[in-house]
Amino acid sequence: MHSSGFLFARKDSAGRCLQERSYLIRIMVFLFVLLSIFACSNESPSAKSRPELQGNGDMGFGTIVAVGDSLTAGYGVDETEAYPALLEKRLLLDGFFFKVINAGISGETSSGTLSRIEWVIRSLNPDIIILETGANDGLRGVDPKVLEKNLDGIITTIQANGIGILLAGMKMPPNLGPVHTARFSKIYPRMANKHNIPLIPFFLESVAGDARYNLSDRMHPNPEGYRRILDTIYPYVLEVIKRRP
Amino acid sequence: MMIHPGFIRREIIRSSKQAMVFILCVGLSLVTLTAFSGFSKSIYQSLLHDARKLHAADIIIQSYETLSNPLSQAISEKVQEGSAELARYHEFYSVIRTNDDSTSVLSLLKVVEKGYPFYGNVVLKSGRPLHEVLTSGQTVVAPTLLDRLGLKIGDAIQVGYTSLTIQDVVLTEPDRPVSIFSFGPRVFIAAEDLDTLGLVQTGSRIRQVHLLKVNDSEQIDALAYGLRQVADLEREQVDTFQTTRSRIKRFHERFIFFLNLVGIFILVVSGVGIQSTLTALLNEKQYAIAIMKALGATNRYILVHYMMIVMLLGSIGMGAGILTGVFIQFGLVNLLSALLPPNTPFLIAWSGLAESVVLGILVVLIFSFLPLYRLRGMRPVMILRKDIPVLTRHWPVLASYGVFALFFFGLVFRHMQDIRFGLYFVAGVCGLILITMAITYGMLRALKGLHIRNLAIRQAVKGLFRKGGATQTIMVSLTTSLCVIFSIYLVEQNLDATFVKSFPQDSPNLFFLDIQPAQTAAFSKAMNQDVPFYPIVRARVTHVNNDAIDRQSERNKKRDNLARVFNLTYRHHLLDDEVIINGAGLFRSDWQEIQVSVLDTVIDMHPMDIGDTIQFNIQGVPLTARISSIRSRTKGSLRPFFYFVFEKDTLKSAPQTMFAAFRVSQEDIGPLQTRVVNQFPNINVIDLTETIRVFAGIIKKLSEIIRGFSVLSIFAGVLILISAVFATRAERITESVYYKILGARKAFVVKVFSLENLLIGLASSVLAVILSQAGTYVICRFVLEIDFRMFLTSCALMVAAAVILVNGVGIFSARSILEKKPITYLREQPDA
Repeated sequence: MHSSGFLFARKDSAGRCLQERSYLIRIMVFLFVLLSIFACSNESPSAKSRPELQGNGDMGFGTIVAVGDSLTAGYGVDETEAYPALLEKRLLLDGFFFKVINAGISGETSSGTLSRIEWVIRSLNPDIIILETGANDGLRGVDPKVLEKNLDGIITTIQANGIGILLAGMKMPPNLGPVHTARFSKIYPRMANKHNIPLIPFFLESVAGDARYNLSDRMHPNPEGYRRILDTIYPYVLEVIKRRP
Repeated sequence: MMIHPGFIRREIIRSSKQAMVFILCVGLSLVTLTAFSGFSKSIYQSLLHDARKLHAADIIIQSYETLSNPLSQAISEKVQEGSAELARYHEFYSVIRTNDDSTSVLSLLKVVEKGYPFYGNVVLKSGRPLHEVLTSGQTVVAPTLLDRLGLKIGDAIQVGYTSLTIQDVVLTEPDRPVSIFSFGPRVFIAAEDLDTLGLVQTGSRIRQVHLLKVNDSEQIDALAYGLRQVADLEREQVDTFQTTRSRIKRFHERFIFFLNLVGIFILVVSGVGIQSTLTALLNEKQYAIAIMKALGATNRYILVHYMMIVMLLGSIGMGAGILTGVFIQFGLVNLLSALLPPNTPFLIAWSGLAESVVLGILVVLIFSFLPLYRLRGMRPVMILRKDIPVLTRHWPVLASYGVFALFFFGLVFRHMQDIRFGLYFVAGVCGLILITMAITYGMLRALKGLHIRNLAIRQAVKGLFRKGGATQTIMVSLTTSLCVIFSIYLVEQNLDATFVKSFPQDSPNLFFLDIQPAQTAAFSKAMNQDVPFYPIVRARVTHVNNDAIDRQSERNKKRDNLARVFNLTYRHHLLDDEVIINGAGLFRSDWQEIQVSVLDTVIDMHPMDIGDTIQFNIQGVPLTARISSIRSRTKGSLRPFFYFVFEKDTLKSAPQTMFAAFRVSQEDIGPLQTRVVNQFPNINVIDLTETIRVFAGIIKKLSEIIRGFSVLSIFAGVLILISAVFATRAERITESVYYKILGARKAFVVKVFSLENLLIGLASSVLAVILSQAGTYVICRFVLEIDFRMFLTSCALMVAAAVILVNGVGIFSARSILEKKPITYLREQPDA
């Protein structure tokens, strides 16, 4: 036996490694095919621990547009640390090839969102819209009826275009007064029921008012806060993806 | 050694004009010192009083949560031991409703304890004190709240879980303008009602403020320091009224700093005047001194007697300066009373006065040294050779400059309390003088080499180089003093332009945000006027010339940067306070690509130029534009402005809101706000009336102070000029006589002297304008942080005025020279 790089090489009378080389090549081809089968599979070990819905390429791609105010835009943090960018990364890890576009505008009220929703739909061609708006209406003391009317108009427009929608609920700090905060917080469930759309009960769940998860203004989430927001909204995003026809 | 008082008296009488100028120079240096020493404390107290009023306390502790135990305990200890008084307030937004729930308005509540405010007053419409009115169950509100809710005094409002009765209307409060923007009218509530409001809960966003009034004002900083040591600085902020981040406060500090510079400059300029005048006086005595030495007088004898002349004249000058300074201090009571806190006594600051006397003596000694040292060079042989005494050794000059530099540095450090800045300042001034010397040297060399055909001009130019003449010294002195005067004037003009003119009568006081495009017609109709709308498209900058913006490093810059969201707009015209500083127009007709005009502020954030490209992200949609022009605007103006302006077609379809700003009379503000809210509930109205009033008022005061110092500095300049003319008096007399002997008429002599003065005046003033432009730029941009303008027309007028003044003073001072008859002069000569 000689060493020619192959373990089983034997020379023929002419010094050529024939039979064993052919055998090895067959083994390598078999291994290659086996590996190819595994490589083509979307299943990853970590996916086994994720929620039951797995992207498999059939429904796991498209465009999600995050429409909202500074909580969506990522005021005070880098855009890569705001929830839309985090959502895109998480979806990709789970095999959902969705592009998530950040269409948040700091300081915007629901009136502004209503004005531009058609432009968003026309320009960005979303498959799903995550609608997070109304916080600035509430903080500026705008009559909740105005917010409700605007939300109704926005959701109607989105649904008329056959786009999936996820509504993010919002609450107001108690200092604004019991009447205002109660009327405000009831709007979102009412809208979700009316239009039969999924609702995140409170977008800032476990983040609002906690200095650990907010910037120094105590109103806008910091990077850790946005990671918690992502944990809150992710199941609902998957639900909307599932609902897509 | 015997002192001869008669000799001293005769010498002074014979050189009475120079002696008078010497006295005036000494006096002026002390007038400035005395006035500024007294005024600076008064002005500083006045400005500090404004700062205290703006913060309502000496120490301000803020937090959005309950204070930590260590800080809370530390405050209690100070209050209990009597070092300070405490008053707390809670400030937060809440939606106030009418009792029948028909209307509501977002309001800014202030729930205050009895001590508030420690400084300044909350002015109520009834004229009563706040705490007389504000008791439990009552409230005091801003007028706009009554308008918005359709209520009047005596009606009730629902605040949180309780109902309060409106007792009065608040007109002004001392600490409101510090935070410019608020989204709702003010509502004052007594601290006793805080719990019944029921609004302080977990999750509430409430600013808790502890105000401390410190009984010994010298202890404020130490006490604040101690509190900071125990505070949780991540969530608790401890400031004094001097350290809070107040734009006004920072501006006051820089203003005092600038006045200190002015005071020091006037002192130095007066010192230069002392030196020039004394040189002129002693030049006239040179033959007399030479004769005295020939007759056996020793150097010591000469020096002692002339020292006594200097000290006598200096004492008279100091006395006159102190009296004048005190007189000015009392005489300007009316002006200062508007600036000072009430009941401020006008006492002479004896320690300040003593300091003035010591400084006056030092100034006289330092600036008299060189002229007196030159007395040693006045030898009897001069009578035969008609020599000019020169200093054969350089060490006296160097020593003199060295002492001057040390004195100057000591002065700067004494007033500025900053060694590093003192070094910069001294280096800057020395640099100024050296540059001036170099340029004047170059100018004179160039003039000397010119071949001039005209006789009068040729003689005037030759006059600049007369033996013993100190043309360069005169020009340096004139240039330096004119530079100071021009700089003060230009700074005042820039202050005036930036702040006072930024608040013209028609400047907008109401700003309307979030107007939707579909609402513009209805909004204009509701306002009963054509409203100028500014479209706003929100976007981020992602790339410049295809290089991605590094957001993290942008955010690390401690100033405006490209990492934030911008408001883009579109239009085809410039706003009233805008000018194009680069580019033929806003946009170019020969470019096909998308264009954008940028404000010069953007260039400060990131280097860019015409033709460069900027990529924007407009809510997920990229847009690349080419820079077509660069604009600038009046900084400090309250008119709306935009960093990026596009052509209409580029952005008119982009998602946008509208912004409007216009002026509304005070009495119409409330009804207008109500109309807007009822018809357009999504539109926010911001009222800046009070802010404008406070800012404009303060800056107007500061301009008046600078104007006062301008007058003093002009007076110093005139004295320099006169002393400069006297410095060359003897030589001019000789020339005048010789011209007349050779057949020239008086008119020719006047022409020659005028041309000479014209050359000196023109060269000095033009150089002074150039240097003052540079100095003013530094002061405006880096000290006062205001916009800089060149005011070239004013500069041209200043040059003309300086030239006329130099010529006028020169000819006026020389009229005795012009009247001198040749025969009289020749008879007076020692070797006739």
